[in-house]
Amino acid sequence: MKKKVNLTVWFMMLPSLFLLAVGSVYPFLWIFRYIFYDYNGFTAYFSGMDNVSRLFRDAIYWKSVGNTFEYAAMKLIFCIPLSLLAAVVLHQKLRGSSFFRGVFFMPTVISSAVYSLIFYFIFASYNGVLNSMLMASGITHHAIDWLGSPKTAMISVVIVAVWGGFGNYMILIMSGLSSISEEVYESARIDGANGRQIFFKITIPLLGPVLKVILMLAITGALKDYQSILVLTGGGPNHRTQVMFSYIYQLCFGSDASGIQIQLGYGAVLSLVSAFIIGIITVIYLRFSKKMDEVY
Amino acid sequence: MGREVNRVRSKEYKINRCVIYIFLVGLTVLTIYPIIYIFFGSFKENRELVLGGWNILPQKFVISNYTDAWEMANFAGYTFNSVILSIGTMIVALFVTSMAGYCYARGEFPCKELFYNLMIAFMFINVGSISLRPLFELAVKVHLNQSRVTMILISAAGSQATFIFLVRGYMNTTPKELDEAAKIDGCGFFHIYWKIILPILKPVLSAVALLSFRGGWNEYIMPMIFTMSNPSLRPLTVGVVSLRNMGDRAAAWNIMFAGSVISIVPIIILYMFTSKYFMEGMTVGAVKG
Repeated sequence: MKKKVNLTVWFMMLPSLFLLAVGSVYPFLWIFRYIFYDYNGFTAYFSGMDNVSRLFRDAIYWKSVGNTFEYAAMKLIFCIPLSLLAAVVLHQKLRGSSFFRGVFFMPTVISSAVYSLIFYFIFASYNGVLNSMLMASGITHHAIDWLGSPKTAMISVVIVAVWGGFGNYMILIMSGLSSISEEVYESARIDGANGRQIFFKITIPLLGPVLKVILMLAITGALKDYQSILVLTGGGPNHRTQVMFSYIYQLCFGSDASGIQIQLGYGAVLSLVSAFIIGIITVIYLRFSKKMDEVY
Repeated sequence: MGREVNRVRSKEYKINRCVIYIFLVGLTVLTIYPIIYIFFGSFKENRELVLGGWNILPQKFVISNYTDAWEMANFAGYTFNSVILSIGTMIVALFVTSMAGYCYARGEFPCKELFYNLMIAFMFINVGSISLRPLFELAVKVHLNQSRVTMILISAAGSQATFIFLVRGYMNTTPKELDEAAKIDGCGFFHIYWKIILPILKPVLSAVALLSFRGGWNEYIMPMIFTMSNPSLRPLTVGVVSLRNMGDRAAAWNIMFAGSVISIVPIIILYMFTSKYFMEGMTVGAVKG
């Protein structure tokens, strides 16, 4: 009897374990193997530590690391306050609040590849709709090459990321807000606290634990973004919007636009280093947020 | 005196409300503008699109962009592929994660903790797109690189950890007495799952269904890699973006506009009817995960 139960469990676990083994474990081991190879997709040569030493000389990669941080920081600086504000406003009893919530969350159900394509049209330099509006309203007199100029490419990419992401964080923050009891607010209001005091003295501290988790999701999420960047700029112009994972994508699958050849061994090294960098950021963040706990 | 305070209060209140609504309406306009823009743009003639300008409504309303996209640019095929990929991913996800979630919550088997922790660990280890390369080479080796099944399985594999986590969490909140009673009545482990657990899991499985459907529908990088040599298997996301990467960019704007609309409208309509479940699913999956 006991044995029969065990077999059934294994049988039911099999599909999941198969997907885990093939989809996650196998690729991970594969990456480790190719660290030491020069591999272009057809032939692989053993190259020892060449890939590792190249890492330290590769200016594009370190530029992409810097860009990743810049992108993530800008995305969060716009995204988190906006979603916090929207969440707090919509948490009140307000006519139409579920409509607004539904609208703000909508971008998260659309493929980031497709909405990036839509923004690609909006940002188009030659007679694009954004330029037309800016020129018609007299804000600028010449068309701005939003995605093609090194000055504006990063901010354009960030705008798209904020558009696609703030609704998600808003919903997460709202679920945190709903766990704060109504009585706390009630007694604060009776004591004569105004809206701003309630926000900074009650909402933010009580939201703290949830906000910390959300912030961690937002940071790691932003560091991993690259799909939208591939569609919008392909990492250009001149690697201005190249982030770690878009560069790795181009090294693993080639890119006509940047003229990058397929170099899987080197891509493997960069993948592991990038995963490691994200891991370090996560640990630093967790340490830091613990410190914050002690202060408050 | 009291009246005076009340009046000041209500004035302040009105101004507050006003500011709040201006903020909300402004944000709404910014959020839906790209959707409106692409929707109405998809009825413009190509000449008008290329000429640009900030008119939202088309000067001349044409439907030919859609017929061209559907027939000439193979968007009929892309749509079919998207439907297969998303429904396939959903079915696999429901099947795999409900069983695994149930086993992790109620089953006993060797290395249970190890497997579970391994799965959770891989949720956090992100090596980016390179992991698709070994999968592609493996698929070539077993002659499954031209198959929809491969894409469905990879899409399901990518998201299974979150869903198993959801199902297991939900299982842990349901009383054990339910399945123990059935066990005493002589039901087997699988029988209990089929007759008792699955109906209980309905709420969480509906979230899994929606999120995995969305995941399959919006998949982009993975199907792009797997259909590089076989464009006829491309889903909508890959089909529409790849049009831009073909030489004559300006010429295909109208097709791309229509294609973008074809690819986002179904998921937006689905969302309109199920937004509550979408939001709940995202919240539980993210905060607990």
